[in-house]
Amino acid sequence: MIKVYRSAIIRASADKVWKLARDFNGLPKWHPAIATSEIEGGLPADRVGCVRRFTLKSDGGLLREQLLSLADDTRSLTYNILISPMPVANYMAGMRFTPITMGGDTFAEWWAVFDVTSGPPQVTADDIGDNVFVLGFAAIGKLLAR
Amino acid sequence: MTKIFVSAVIEAPVEEVWAKVRDFNNLPEWHPKFSRSHIEGGLASDRVGCVRNFDIAGGGGTIRERLLELSDVEHSFRYCILTSPLPVEGYVAQLTLYPVTVGDQTVGIWTAEFDVTNNDEAGVVNAVANDTFGKAFEILNTLFAAKKRVNGL
Repeated sequence: MIKVYRSAIIRASADKVWKLARDFNGLPKWHPAIATSEIEGGLPADRVGCVRRFTLKSDGGLLREQLLSLADDTRSLTYNILISPMPVANYMAGMRFTPITMGGDTFAEWWAVFDVTSGPPQVTADDIGDNVFVLGFAAIGKLLAR
Repeated sequence: MTKIFVSAVIEAPVEEVWAKVRDFNNLPEWHPKFSRSHIEGGLASDRVGCVRNFDIAGGGGTIRERLLELSDVEHSFRYCILTSPLPVEGYVAQLTLYPVTVGDQTVGIWTAEFDVTNNDEAGVVNAVANDTFGKAFEILNTLFAAKKRVNGL
């Protein structure tokens, strides 16, 4: 089991960031690595238990992830991976967006715990941390720049 | 129940900030609102259950607070007021430091919950949120900025 944790300051209010990140079907709207997304069975994207089915821009790879929890008061959600081209198993992740009251920015956190099924675990962990999580934070910051 | 939530970015790595604030007996050493502190009974200041006994600077009275929880893993401590000149009851507060991995900074989050026992809730909120927690974050940033200048960073 390995854990990845990345955090950053996003120069926008936590409410604005959360509005974007809360949409479990909205990855293509802000994450540069994601091409398409749909919620299976046509469920609302904030229905806990729903499954998003999305594809990667790089190679069209398919992922299915299930929403495990969603909370508007703590601006946080958790999910797990059902299917992914990445060499991971037992993958569970979460994100949280906390207001910085002194200055009005957002403290963004994104974490995951999982097993790596092939190759050096730290390489996969760093790849997810830097190329999924940090890239996502940077994209949100750019999108909401004030 | 009154709730306080104050958060700020501190321009230093979390381990450095934690090293500065972890000592439950050293608040007056860096926070200008407070003076003189000792741990009652001569206990170590990281012994959970210990009581710090310190003064509000300028003759503002003495506060006694008990350490309820201290975590080096979470960079966090929680404490309650036993006696104080503040018009509060059931006061429990917590300071937690989070690492900002992109940029190697720290986010400090300081929260408190209590009942106000007079009719000036706004005044009490200001004293806790701005004069105590907010001021602490400002001072920490000033300290670490000065340290960076001294180290030529």
